[in-house]
Amino acid sequence: MFDLYQWVTQGPGMAKQRSKISSMNQENAATNLSATPLVLAASDVTKAYANRPVLRGVSLELRAGERLALTGPSGSGKSTLLNCLGGVDRPDSGSIRFKDISLESLDADGLTEVRRRDIGTIFQFFHLLPTLTASENVELPLQLNGIASTIRAERVRALLDRVGLADRAGAFPDQLSGGEMQRVAIARALAHKPSVLLADEPTGNLDTRNGAIILELLRELSDETGIALILVTHSGAAAQICHREIHLLDGKIGGERARD
Amino acid sequence: MAASNKAVLGILWSRFAWRHWRISPISSVLLLLILAIGVAAFVSIRLANRAAVASFQNFSDLITSGSDGIIMAPAGALSELVLTELRQLLGPEPVNLVAVVETSAVPPRRDEDETIGSRPVFQLLGLDLPALVNLSGQQTNGRGWLGTATSRGTDGSRKEFTEVLRNPLAVFISEALARRDQLQIDSPLPLVINEHAVELRVAGIIPTDPSQPAVPPHLLIMDLPALQRLTDKTGQLDRIELLLEAGPRRAQQWALIRKKLEAASSSRSGRWLLSTPADRRAAASTMTQAFRLNLDILSLLALLVGLYLVFQGLEGAVVRRRSEIAVLRSLGVTSRQVQGAWLVEAAAIGLAGGLIGLVLGWLGAQFAVRMVARTVNTLYYASSVDSAAFSFGEAIVALIVAITAATVAGWRPARVAANTPPAQIALRTGAATYPGGQWLRRPGLGLTLIVLGGLLASLPPLRLAGGGRLPLAAYAAGLCWIFGAGIFAGNVLAWLGRLFARFRIDSVGLRLAGSHLRAPSGRHRLAVAALVCAVGMTAGMAILVGSFETTMRGWISRTFQADLYISSDGAQSASSTSRISPATWKNVVTNPAVERANVIQVTEINLGGVTTLLMGSQLAFFRDYARPAWLSPPLHEDVFDPERNAGLALVSEAFSERFRVHRGDRMQVPTPIGPRSLTIAGVFADYGNERGSLLIERQLFSDWLGNELASSLILALKPGANAERLRAELRAAYPGLGVFTSSYLRDEALRIFRQTFTVTYALELIGIIVAVAGLVFTMASLLWERRGDLATLRSLGLRRKELAGAAAWEGALTAAAGLLTGLAVSLALGWLLIYRINKQTFGWTLQTDWPVRQLSVLALLVLASATMAAWFVGGWATRLPADREE
Repeated sequence: MFDLYQWVTQGPGMAKQRSKISSMNQENAATNLSATPLVLAASDVTKAYANRPVLRGVSLELRAGERLALTGPSGSGKSTLLNCLGGVDRPDSGSIRFKDISLESLDADGLTEVRRRDIGTIFQFFHLLPTLTASENVELPLQLNGIASTIRAERVRALLDRVGLADRAGAFPDQLSGGEMQRVAIARALAHKPSVLLADEPTGNLDTRNGAIILELLRELSDETGIALILVTHSGAAAQICHREIHLLDGKIGGERARD
Repeated sequence: MAASNKAVLGILWSRFAWRHWRISPISSVLLLLILAIGVAAFVSIRLANRAAVASFQNFSDLITSGSDGIIMAPAGALSELVLTELRQLLGPEPVNLVAVVETSAVPPRRDEDETIGSRPVFQLLGLDLPALVNLSGQQTNGRGWLGTATSRGTDGSRKEFTEVLRNPLAVFISEALARRDQLQIDSPLPLVINEHAVELRVAGIIPTDPSQPAVPPHLLIMDLPALQRLTDKTGQLDRIELLLEAGPRRAQQWALIRKKLEAASSSRSGRWLLSTPADRRAAASTMTQAFRLNLDILSLLALLVGLYLVFQGLEGAVVRRRSEIAVLRSLGVTSRQVQGAWLVEAAAIGLAGGLIGLVLGWLGAQFAVRMVARTVNTLYYASSVDSAAFSFGEAIVALIVAITAATVAGWRPARVAANTPPAQIALRTGAATYPGGQWLRRPGLGLTLIVLGGLLASLPPLRLAGGGRLPLAAYAAGLCWIFGAGIFAGNVLAWLGRLFARFRIDSVGLRLAGSHLRAPSGRHRLAVAALVCAVGMTAGMAILVGSFETTMRGWISRTFQADLYISSDGAQSASSTSRISPATWKNVVTNPAVERANVIQVTEINLGGVTTLLMGSQLAFFRDYARPAWLSPPLHEDVFDPERNAGLALVSEAFSERFRVHRGDRMQVPTPIGPRSLTIAGVFADYGNERGSLLIERQLFSDWLGNELASSLILALKPGANAERLRAELRAAYPGLGVFTSSYLRDEALRIFRQTFTVTYALELIGIIVAVAGLVFTMASLLWERRGDLATLRSLGLRRKELAGAAAWEGALTAAAGLLTGLAVSLALGWLLIYRINKQTFGWTLQTDWPVRQLSVLALLVLASATMAAWFVGGWATRLPADREE
């Protein structure tokens, strides 16, 4: 299978690690995930808005290559937990470790730096930048990470090709369909080779057919790259692409199960 | 490795800011043009000011470029005997003394009905030319001394030069004048010098020396004795220039000579004053400093209103691009980088607007320079520039002002942009739809600014060198009131919106407009604040000018009570040095038709380093025919009695303010016969000059100054005498005299007054244009944001005309709120301008007058143009597709 990250020039350590994950995935990722390194760990996280508790002591772990679904009814705290894990919001108490970094120890710029370097995000409403073409949207995280222009160009081309939009590279967001926009958003989220991909209802604004295409794409890319994925969703079909599902209820973990 | 801050800023600029500008070319160009107009107003005034001052400095430099020092009398002229005295004092010191007589002259009038000040003013210099030629080692390069050989076909030898000087009417002119007026050697050059109409002969065309400042076209040079004769200054000099001979010890020698001269001056009771060319240049600059600063500040009016719009444009952009910023934050752009990007964008607007403004400003300066030069000429010294050169230094100043101002205007929007949370948070908290202009919703801030303004208004002015005063605190007070009222104006808008919403109105347009204004957006509030700024300042200035005009009318009708006013026909302004000889004025005043006459003598005097005017007049005549308005009336009649007023003086209000002296104070006045003591008997209102006047009995003046040269004559005729007939008679007998009736002079005085304020009117107009353009900008942005709503309204059955009508109502109500508040602010600003800024700068007390007609025209103009502009923008908006900009 095509290995996106192998294809792109990168540091030997990271390449080796990703190569290892990728080959594990090819063998049987689900059974060997416990052997991969821990990338994200939340411990007893609480969060309240206007004295209304949203998260009440949530703990979870996420390993490299793992796909975790966060499900639960509206208001159960899924998006808030995702925001805390992604460093865009701070928990009121508890701790979150990203690899070997404690997020509480970082200031706003430090959190931004982690997000820029190691986290990819996909939104329900795509959030493509309207003044940029599809390829420029994908290129942006690479520019922010100081990647050389020749490498950027190759990587953008490869990613758009991978998500099936090579021929739409020059199109602006308002010239793309919803499904196409989300595929560009996925390419953008993966461009800088993050360790974790956070997806908040990525199919919530798509029809069933496009939703299925996006989910399949996410599964494939996760397998290919060994990236860890947290998928916030209401959809049972979406949760099915994950190795594990955590169900949130009233800000607490109401249940957890491994998926086939 | 993460990209550097610089790289990220580059990306944000090229991929975002720049593209947004390209996507919306009309609004981008409009914003840049608005800023450019503001910068242009500033640049044109600065260049014009510079040209007016430079004309004096160039002139000065040309004459004194080689001189090390200047000897002048503290009052009046120097006696030629001082030359001998100085020579004896300096002994073998290697210094040359150059005697100079200087006067102004104009071409004779061509039209009897011409207006005062319409003829060009020449500066005539009398120099000891044979001595200068001996002194100079200059090579003639075949053109002869001072260009005497040009087109004469001779070798221009020293002998020939001496021959040329035998003609008492020989004059040397610049190449620029020769070119402009097509003059050659031996061409006649008719001029009025003092009361003499003479025809000078061009004896030489001074060649341009690339290493020296260019000889200005209005400079003429004559031999010293010839000019002394023409100006009735035989035996007198205006100044002596000191030229040290070249040598390695020049600096030490000059220090020694200076010490010697200063010691001698004090031992001779200050018979002369020693200064340097640099002092002279600085004096010209400080003399007009307050005037120029005031104009500079006024020229910032349009820039200030423009900055509201830059602020508005950038904050509007934050509103529009909020979700985009949120996504960038999600992707790892730090808040500091976002802030940096917005500041870079603001600075880029400043730079681009500044560059366009430089070009427009240079063009505008060509018009402004004539107005500024006219005012400088009227109030200060002879300046005859008619074009303003581009200055690299001024360009840099303007660009720095534009970039700094735009960056300051962009600071708040940049902060707002930087505080945008990442998209995940922005969406949840609703921060993606930031309404803008939050600070304008704080009436407490407005109130604080207004109170602060009140405190600042009570502070005294800043005293400048040379006697100038700058009302800095009063200007700051005005700014506080403008900004404070601008913040309040948003509430007035909301009140108007609610008022219209309360009535049962059938007009859909008015209902729609009212609904938008009930809770006005930040953009509405900002547009109103910009209008308050423009209307407040313009109407405030109108109140000042109206009050000034009313006061002037009163002063003029009181002052010009006599029948005929006579001066040299060469006297074109207050700066004129043309005089009337005693023989002539004695003949005139003894005319059988004359009942009473006042002979006025004037000279500049130096009081503690500050130049002012000493005037001699029959004080009783002054009381009876000038009918002065007293600020401190004389306590008894002694001052008007020539037998008893020897130690008494009257001073103008400007003098009293400038030298901080009042009725009853005693002061020392320098004269050629040593310092004399005077007691101030009264203070009168005078709007003729801002340097101040010290008025003494003419006979005393004549005794002190040692001459009887009159600057003007005022005649009261016997009952039944015909003023027009006597005027014609005197003009025929003395073609070099200007003879005016009181009604003519009244009209001319008012015309010159209005001319002086032309530049003010122009700047006000620019301010209003910018403010209305800002309202158009606001309406266009608001309607663009509402294009979805407009499409809905269209689908509900509203016609395009009805939608345009709604926009027109919205524009009209917004303008009305700006007008109401602006006019209220203008009352406060009018008070500030009259009782603080004007009084502190010029020392003139004005009678307050509310120019109701002018303010009504202003209000109608703003309201009509805002309504029409909004109607057109509304029509444009209805044609917008629902999802595309422009």
